[in-house]
Amino acid sequence: MIWFSLLVLIPLAAIIVKASGGGWHTYADTLSNSQTLDAIKLTVGTSLLVTALNMVMGTIIAWVLVRDRFPGKALLDLVIDIPFALPTIVAGLVLLSLYGADSPLGLHFANTRSAVFLAIAFVTLPFVVRTVQPVLEEMETDVEDAAASLGASRAVTFRRVVLPTLVPAIFAGASLSFARGISEYGSLVLLSGNLPHRTEVTSVRVMSYLEGGDTAAAASVATVLLVVALLAIVSLDIIARRVARRDGRNG
Amino acid sequence: MSIEVKNVNKRFGDFVALDDVSVSLPTGQLTALLGPSGGGKSTLLRIIAGLDSADSGSISIEGTEATHLPPQKRNIGFVFQHYAAFKHMSVAKNVAFGLEIRKKPKPEIERKVNELLDLVHLSQFANRLPAQLSGGQRQRMALARALAVEPTVLLLDEPFGALDAKVRKELRDWLRRLHDEVHVTTVFVTHDQEEALEVADEIVVINQGRVEQVGTPDQLYDAPANDFVMSFLGDVTTLGGELIRPHDIEVDVTPGEPGAIEGSVSRVLRIGFEVRLTVLTDVGEVVTVELTRTNARRLGIAEGSRVYLNAVLGATRV
Repeated sequence: MIWFSLLVLIPLAAIIVKASGGGWHTYADTLSNSQTLDAIKLTVGTSLLVTALNMVMGTIIAWVLVRDRFPGKALLDLVIDIPFALPTIVAGLVLLSLYGADSPLGLHFANTRSAVFLAIAFVTLPFVVRTVQPVLEEMETDVEDAAASLGASRAVTFRRVVLPTLVPAIFAGASLSFARGISEYGSLVLLSGNLPHRTEVTSVRVMSYLEGGDTAAAASVATVLLVVALLAIVSLDIIARRVARRDGRNG
Repeated sequence: MSIEVKNVNKRFGDFVALDDVSVSLPTGQLTALLGPSGGGKSTLLRIIAGLDSADSGSISIEGTEATHLPPQKRNIGFVFQHYAAFKHMSVAKNVAFGLEIRKKPKPEIERKVNELLDLVHLSQFANRLPAQLSGGQRQRMALARALAVEPTVLLLDEPFGALDAKVRKELRDWLRRLHDEVHVTTVFVTHDQEEALEVADEIVVINQGRVEQVGTPDQLYDAPANDFVMSFLGDVTTLGGELIRPHDIEVDVTPGEPGAIEGSVSRVLRIGFEVRLTVLTDVGEVVTVELTRTNARRLGIAEGSRVYLNAVLGATRV
């Protein structure tokens, strides 16, 4: 508990204290700044989109990794973690060299919102895969056989038997993925170009407040991010419980 | 015949799971597929269910050619060793699953589920989750779930294998009584010969991918077709170079009948009402003999006693 406090609670409290140091008007001023507001909108919007994509793709990738057999599977299993393990600034460089001005693929995402999307998708890919994978591994194929013997098609079996088992893991991965998405800095700072109102994300905004010496404003943006992250985690958890229970008890 | 299996072969890589298996399972009966682990009996059951496919050969169920039918279309009920419960659904929902898939009207589903839960004595647990049930209760739920769709045949794969000895015995009696009530053609896989002998109308002994013998429990026990069936269905020992059951040997302390095999007792082991002797014969054979405590006392047998062994009249020998 002391460890947890030192590591998490005290820094969090410090941010809130710092932000409230300037009183409510610091919040109001910072949040009514259209550049900041655009940054928050972009960050949260893109993160939500990426998270939704991850929930689908991550589940499919986990499925392939657990159920299918193909040469190079072990390698793929290893590679999945690279976006996560890579220092984010290195990830940024990778993305810049692939999709930047002199892209070998002929794809030019530099200074566009797609760059933000791409960078966030890149670094958050492993989360859902890694939460769903162990649940799939634990799940007995007997359960699917039982559903089949009772007359359920593969689609019905997936929807009514497999998916409800995976839902908690998918949503846990989604929370992690979303939280990581809204806080992303290193991987997108190079490719996105940080154009105000266009491709500037919240963490970059916080950075520029700090560079400008306005720590109170930086802290209040940080507090907003904190609240958004908390809200997201809590609501994802609630949705997960709802979905898991929908098919459950009688009634 | 309800289930007709013809010339079925199945390999997993180099391993031959089923080697040209043909067997007919009668309608309305309780049949056991008995054999050691890895002998192919579960594979055969899964092929009948359509959960695995045969490399060659054919399956028909109640006269319907089923070889290439998917499990959904075979109208079978399947019970798994580890219950295969739908963990996120209540007991009632588990049982209702097959009926909901078939889009039966709600009142009918409810009536049928209640009826089945009654049959398996789980009515008071209808709203619990499977995790809140004991192993035996979970398996009864799985059985109700399989029976809900009114299957042509009910297939059980080591249904009591994961349960402890006492519950296993209870459930096995209960399965027998249930079958006498419901009369659905039932096939169950077991490696426990006692279970098969006690419950089944007919036993198919399967070993190393082949059918060794088919018959009633009495036929198999009294007239085993070969060494394997003889030794798999009960304890065996050798007397005069033949396989014989230890309780089919008569012990005497005086040389009575001619042809008796002479030896000395090397070990006496008492297990409840039963006394187990290890006898070393003069020709160097080690024979196990079982007799009742009363008999052993009457004969005054102890370690080192000289004894004369004879097969009893009508003993099963191979």
